[in-house]
Amino acid sequence: MDLNQLWQSVLGEIGLQISRPNFITWLKNSQLIEKKDGVALVALPNNFAKNWVQTKYHKIILGALRSIDENTKKVDFIVNLNQNPSPALLDKETDLENNSQLIFPEFKLDPETNLNPRYTLNSFVVGSSNEMTYAAASAVIDDIGKKYNPLFIHGGVGLGKTHLIQAIGNEIKNRYKNKVKVRYVPSEKFINDVVAGVRSKNMEPVKSKYRGVDVLIIDDIQSIGGKKTTEEEFFNTFNTLYENSRQIIISSDRPPNFLPALHERLRSRFEGGMIARIEYPDYELRMAVLKTKLGERGVSLDEGVISLIANKIQKNLRELDGALNRILFYRQVKNVEVDAKMAEQIINETVKQSSHNVNPNLIIKKVADYFDIQPADIAGKCRKKEFVEPRQVAIYLLRDLLDLSYPYIGEKIGKRDHTTAMYAYEKVSREINKSHDFSQKVLMIKDTIDKESNS
Amino acid sequence: MKLIILRNNLKEGLSAVEKAVSENNNLPILKNVLLKTDNNQIRISTTNLDLAISKSILGKIIEEGGITVPFSTLYSIVNNSDSERISLEQDNNTLILKTDNYEAKIQGLNEEEFPIIPKIENSKNYLEIEPAILKNSILKVLSAAQISEIRPEISGILLDFQLTILKLAATDSFRLAEKTLASNQFGANFNRGFKIIIPLKTTQEILRVFKENQSISIFVDSNQILLKTNDLELISRLIDGVYPDYEQIIPKDIETEIQVEREPLINAVKLVSSFSGKNNDIKLKVKDKKILEIYSASQYLGENHYLVPAKVNGPDFKEVAFNWRYLMDGLKALDSEKIIFGLNGENKPAILKSPEDVSYFYILMPIKNT
Repeated sequence: MDLNQLWQSVLGEIGLQISRPNFITWLKNSQLIEKKDGVALVALPNNFAKNWVQTKYHKIILGALRSIDENTKKVDFIVNLNQNPSPALLDKETDLENNSQLIFPEFKLDPETNLNPRYTLNSFVVGSSNEMTYAAASAVIDDIGKKYNPLFIHGGVGLGKTHLIQAIGNEIKNRYKNKVKVRYVPSEKFINDVVAGVRSKNMEPVKSKYRGVDVLIIDDIQSIGGKKTTEEEFFNTFNTLYENSRQIIISSDRPPNFLPALHERLRSRFEGGMIARIEYPDYELRMAVLKTKLGERGVSLDEGVISLIANKIQKNLRELDGALNRILFYRQVKNVEVDAKMAEQIINETVKQSSHNVNPNLIIKKVADYFDIQPADIAGKCRKKEFVEPRQVAIYLLRDLLDLSYPYIGEKIGKRDHTTAMYAYEKVSREINKSHDFSQKVLMIKDTIDKESNS
Repeated sequence: MKLIILRNNLKEGLSAVEKAVSENNNLPILKNVLLKTDNNQIRISTTNLDLAISKSILGKIIEEGGITVPFSTLYSIVNNSDSERISLEQDNNTLILKTDNYEAKIQGLNEEEFPIIPKIENSKNYLEIEPAILKNSILKVLSAAQISEIRPEISGILLDFQLTILKLAATDSFRLAEKTLASNQFGANFNRGFKIIIPLKTTQEILRVFKENQSISIFVDSNQILLKTNDLELISRLIDGVYPDYEQIIPKDIETEIQVEREPLINAVKLVSSFSGKNNDIKLKVKDKKILEIYSASQYLGENHYLVPAKVNGPDFKEVAFNWRYLMDGLKALDSEKIIFGLNGENKPAILKSPEDVSYFYILMPIKNT
């Protein structure tokens, strides 16, 4: 007989001995939560009930318990704090959004887990660039704490790391009801908590907050590197959880061996689990993401425009979303159907903002660096294969990032004809959509250019 | 039990415990008040099982004892009586109330039936604070809170004790107010900090029942708070939950900082609100770096504008809309002559504070501009 059944039959018996109103007032939300070595532990919803039941019904309860299990020697009572499950947030969230009064964005989070209910596994679009990671995530959900622990997910900005790790948390919470305690924390927040703990000379809240969970999800781990106390606290938290086979899920913008500021022992811990990489999304995935987003909003958009966005924005799903939003916003405000040309204009406006520091020489230099050749070779006359590819990529990037004219690009790359530039651009564009490896290559070059131009 | 009490004392005692009386169909005794002799004093208690209030009053005790009687009956007799003294006598479960020319027999219930008022586990450590300071601090944050069924944890005031400071905070997810007390404004012998959430109803009772003359001792355990003076005890359950980490909400930078006089701004908001729509929106704009324009328009009613001179730091901003009630709550909670209104564009939180007093701020979210 499990505790619940046992308690129900005890209540049945008590119900006969005390008046109905008393029974409802004092024992309605009671629960038998533990029975060990002859001691039964009964949880009551508040202190009044605890005092009352202890004084008035102690004997009746003990008697009833004994009549079912004669080994019962003692009954203890506690006030149970977790008896009022927090109602679902999602239902009401839509209500709030219909109202134009804005709410603090942080309040949309689930207070228990700190997860944003918006991120779900269903809305996570799987493609070749993230299927491995997705598979690892699914395995973790099925087998918490055992299969891949820790799960370390890394990948560039805006590729859906946060979405995936939050979705894991939400899925675990929903699937295991509330039996598994999940907590999501951005590293920034973890640092703040540790600092606050140090300041108030009381680390207990930090400890109980993070060590008392079954699944700890920590986002952007790279930011705790170099902060000694925080790292120490994290290391201890990590060990406590790990030793008790609690699941740890970590995200980072780079793999563990590229986290130089992080202490070696912590890094080696990360490497002990599963390291999964989210790669840059290919064209199909980008299309799928855009279509999912449109589906979520319940609107449609011309196929050509969708394809254009997917083509234009290649390495960041968040920007993809942003561009889509902007186009939809434009359409709504101006009340006109957006065609490919207009869409291109809208996207260009935003892309330009981010690349204002990029100049042709930087692009040429970065391409040359990547392929390990001299910048001069790009503009050179040699048509060896090892130079031709970088040259074409450089032409593509000059056009793509800076929107330079073909004649100018031709001139810049060794006084070539503008048709050569056009041919190179189209070839690379085709290749990007065809070959996954090639598109990853181009995106990594873009990334290095971005980093340089932003610093 | 047999007592003689001054009517005023009894009235004061009953009025202190009035709000913890409750209608409960399952437990009718909660409508009752418990009168009980206790160490030469008469203790008057009521409870609704969330909150219990006990007040001790002086009187002549001829015979010890205790009884519970319906609160409203006793209270209305005491209120309406014109005698200076009242004599109370218990005859089993009946309370006989006598004055010079009046006698009533009130049907009561045995005191054993009355809920046992819980005690606090930790009676060693406590906070000590002057009622005026506590009440003033509660008042400053209270308007930002609302009973929320979706989020029980914000249906209360956060009391965040960090050894050297004591913070009170409240929010309804649209706005948030925080008041910080420095260590010279309270005493404490706790050796570690704690965070508790006090139900809104309890805070309203705190405001109502504590008088200005005695300092309040505050005891807490994991799910209760007890506030105590010599003759008054208020014990309440706490809200179980994790208070949102509101630190993240506090704007770190302010784009446009406006300094204005508080009174004219309150007046402006009041006036302009007459044309605000269903969602109570009024709009703000900065002109020429020295004028704050507050306006609202309704397609059915018309429109109005109010100009308030202001000192502006930072760029002009286009337009931002607020719920005028929320804005007013914040303005009223401040008490300085001038205030700082920090704005961060049309969809990020704005902050209200005093230029002199850093211990208080009020943050509010704008209304989405449509």
